[in-house]
Amino acid sequence: MKETLQIINQMLVDGVIRKYAIGGAVGATFYLEPSATLDIDIFVSFETAPGRALILLSPIYDYLKARGCREEGEHVVIGGWPVQFLPAPDALAEEAVAQAVETDVEGVRTWVMTAEHLVAIALQTGRAKDHIRILQFIDSGMVDADTLDAILARHGFLEQWEQFGHKFLEDRK
Amino acid sequence: MTEWLRTLLENKRRTRRRLAALPFSEKIKLLEKLRDRSLAIAQSPLGRRYRKQ
Repeated sequence: MKETLQIINQMLVDGVIRKYAIGGAVGATFYLEPSATLDIDIFVSFETAPGRALILLSPIYDYLKARGCREEGEHVVIGGWPVQFLPAPDALAEEAVAQAVETDVEGVRTWVMTAEHLVAIALQTGRAKDHIRILQFIDSGMVDADTLDAILARHGFLEQWEQFGHKFLEDRK
Repeated sequence: MTEWLRTLLENKRRTRRRLAALPFSEKIKLLEKLRDRSLAIAQSPLGRRYRKQ
């Protein structure tokens, strides 16, 4: 993954993307125990209007293909890892990218979403595996409840969070 | 819950906490191993048969 991140960082230097943050299972691994995943979710922010995802992704794909990376469905294989680039689709994802935590992988600088943003996005996505991840985060004690509440309130997910609590957290009280 | 099950669950929790506390680079290495194993299982005859069902 070191090589993958080096190439993505070069995209930053070359101005292909403005800022990025690792989300999904790899992002969660920053806080939790590693869990099997086949790809890397990279959320990117652009300064252009939202809703133009396909147009926005073209320069990324062109840049990477010119450097020998190949497309594989919705992924681009970079340094052996299928990477899915996700243009931040809404204010929540934009905020998650903007507030991402800086870290490094084997000396290569990178950015990972905060635990609270990962939980909020998992709640928004709402698949079974996202619910499992939320529960893992809660069990781990890595989530700051006040910060999470503020994010959920800001982006209109408090009702969904309440429903999640009724469904999955009632028996823990 | 039996004592045996309680011990088992506590051991699992302890292992998860130990893994979570590793440096990110170490966890990424584990992630790569997990991914290689997942791909190997998916490409095995058993994995292929499972996907057909």
